[in-house]
Amino acid sequence: MTMTKNGLILTGVDGSELSDSVLDYAIWLSKKSSAPLKLLHTIEHSHHSEQVGHEGNLTPNIKEHLLDELSDEERLESKKLIADGKQIIKGAKDKAEAAGVTDLIAKQRHGSLPEALLDLQSQLSMVVLGSKGHDHEGQLHGLGAQLEDAIRVIKKPIFIAKSGFKTPEKVMFAYNGSPTSHKALNLLASMALFKQDLEIHVVSVQKNLSDAQNLIEDAQSVLNDAGIDMIGQAMTGEAVEVITHYQTTHGIDITVMGAFSHGKLHGFFFGSFTTQMLIESNTQFILVR
Amino acid sequence: MLLSAKQDWLGNIRNDILAGIVVALALVPEAIAFSIIAGVDPKVGLYASFAIAVIIAIVGGRAGMISAATAATALLMVTLVKDHGLQYLLVATILAGVLQIVAGYLNLHKFMSFISKSVMTGFLNALAILIFIAQLPELTNVTWYVYALTAAGLAIIYLFPYVPKIGTLLPSPLVNTVVLPLVVSFFGIEVRTIGDMGELPDTLPIFLWPDVPLTFETLSIVLPYSISIAIVGLLESLMTANVIDELTDTESDKKRECKGQGVANIGSGLIGGMAGCAMIGQSIINVKSGGRGRLSTMVAGILLLILVVFLNDILSIVPMAALVAVMIMVSVGTFNWTSIKELKTNPISASSVMVATVIVVVWTHNLAFGVFAGILIGSLFMAQRLSQFLLVESDYDEASDTRTYQIIGQVFFNSSDKFIGFFDFKEAVDKIVIDVHRAHFWDITGVAALDKVVIKLRREGTDVSIVGLNEASETLLDKFAVHDKPEEVEKMMGGL
Repeated sequence: MTMTKNGLILTGVDGSELSDSVLDYAIWLSKKSSAPLKLLHTIEHSHHSEQVGHEGNLTPNIKEHLLDELSDEERLESKKLIADGKQIIKGAKDKAEAAGVTDLIAKQRHGSLPEALLDLQSQLSMVVLGSKGHDHEGQLHGLGAQLEDAIRVIKKPIFIAKSGFKTPEKVMFAYNGSPTSHKALNLLASMALFKQDLEIHVVSVQKNLSDAQNLIEDAQSVLNDAGIDMIGQAMTGEAVEVITHYQTTHGIDITVMGAFSHGKLHGFFFGSFTTQMLIESNTQFILVR
Repeated sequence: MLLSAKQDWLGNIRNDILAGIVVALALVPEAIAFSIIAGVDPKVGLYASFAIAVIIAIVGGRAGMISAATAATALLMVTLVKDHGLQYLLVATILAGVLQIVAGYLNLHKFMSFISKSVMTGFLNALAILIFIAQLPELTNVTWYVYALTAAGLAIIYLFPYVPKIGTLLPSPLVNTVVLPLVVSFFGIEVRTIGDMGELPDTLPIFLWPDVPLTFETLSIVLPYSISIAIVGLLESLMTANVIDELTDTESDKKRECKGQGVANIGSGLIGGMAGCAMIGQSIINVKSGGRGRLSTMVAGILLLILVVFLNDILSIVPMAALVAVMIMVSVGTFNWTSIKELKTNPISASSVMVATVIVVVWTHNLAFGVFAGILIGSLFMAQRLSQFLLVESDYDEASDTRTYQIIGQVFFNSSDKFIGFFDFKEAVDKIVIDVHRAHFWDITGVAALDKVVIKLRREGTDVSIVGLNEASETLLDKFAVHDKPEEVEKMMGGL
């Protein structure tokens, strides 16, 4: 586990529908694990010019003129984005302070969120994101445009808020024995967060029940060593269906799982288990890469 | 970045398609003109432009950059085509592609850092001059009609954009190539047309292996051309990539671009096209027209082929004067006009590098030679400047009859004479201490100079000791990047 002790909990704030809930969860995580909270607003340049001309001719010093035009245009765009972002991030900061977070950093950065995460990830212990941003507002099942990219670029655990804030009580860990899910198990065992008044469920869905039971026993021994009590459940069937059913019947708040153990191409052809889970479940998620 | 793939293709669909159309329309006359420069049928340049644009859209490292048949590479092929014919050009094209892929794997794009701004300006100015010179055959020994038509073409190209409404909708080079043939046929003027210059494509290109004997002799004929084409192609492509990076404030993958150019040239050679590379002018036009993604390059390539295959009858009656007007525009747009003004204000070293680059290119018709000359002269100036960072502090201690020389600064081939000059060999003293711990010996010439000094002093009967040689000779080892720590930099600057 490459987790740094008390590394930053980072959350992206973009003023979208889920932004409030994301912030609430980030505040909750930061307080529970007594880690500093970093609020990040990214300023994304479109790099698309509004002033296009289709003259198609080359005039003297065209490059210099075009560079001036484009940089002027982007300068205005950036200034506006920065100003808007300042408002958003100030609101978030006030809220976190009011909630009692003392160790707080609020920053703006140029570039996309995945880019920023890639640059900052060495200082982080967890990233908190909303399942969708501005682009998918109002869509019931839509996942954010940058979510999968964000998950794929960072090697740190990611908390994904799917719905409004409710103080979590029950955590479910989906364990299939894969390397990423093994990492997730270690995270579960090592994080202070899970040792405090949370009910931990471990489920395993395999082709035959004995395999699933073996996995549950593995998890049991790891978690018990870490001083964590758990409820284990071995099951068979179609994984997504079985797990989501378990989530609803047991009132699970947060699902912990390994994510995207296959490459992007595999996901393109066969569909990704992680993506399906994210779409089908109604709980919040902690994904481990 | 992973996320960039989708964004590169579909992030800007509407503007990319529109810009791709503008570029395709502007590309047709250029591709024909470059074929004529190289001395091949127009279809060779048109097939090449199609293949290169479509392939580079997929495998290139710079989204939104336009690659096709270019003047820079066409100029290198003239003698090969004249002496050996088209089939050898196709082989040279494929081989150039292979060399570019190898260059990509060898990370040769990193050598771009040796190309200074002055060399780049010289490259573009020289290219502009060569493009202009290539038009002169069309403008000498011709009737006044040709001059009138060329002037009319230029007027349309530069003034049409000022026409309200339609001015910014239709690319003016296209208007030029549509209006001039109408004028010519209306008045029944007899002038040379594109149709007179050779075959235009009437079918889609087909896969063809060049019809040459695969012998060592063939290789020895094409290899020198392939090397030049590969180098010039990569130079212009990487320069253009830098221009687009700057214009759009985004980054490109230079290594991928090198390999991509190679793949594109191989593809071009296999369907009967000539070698090409990125086009600085068309890429700027693409960005200006709103093109940012790979889709723009793809649209430009595909539309170009559709246009020429279906409109070849119309194209063949376009007067050469219309093409010449387009090429004069390309020349004017490529030339860096402010660089003439800056000749007076820039340091003389920068100006002479720029001018030398231009002169060597215009003289040899090979941009690679000009770039090498520019780099060489630039490096000499740099060596000259670095050798100024060398000084000596000398002390005499009467009690022990000891003279101490403390050397501070850079000792290398160009400063070694200056280094030797610091010592007073005529002074008769018992002991001499040479303290070099704040000096840097960059090459064996510097070390040899120190040896020479020591031997000469010993001959005079003086005891010589050297202090701090270890620190001083650290630079001799070709371990780059050892000097990137603050204290190392401090030491390098002589601890001043």
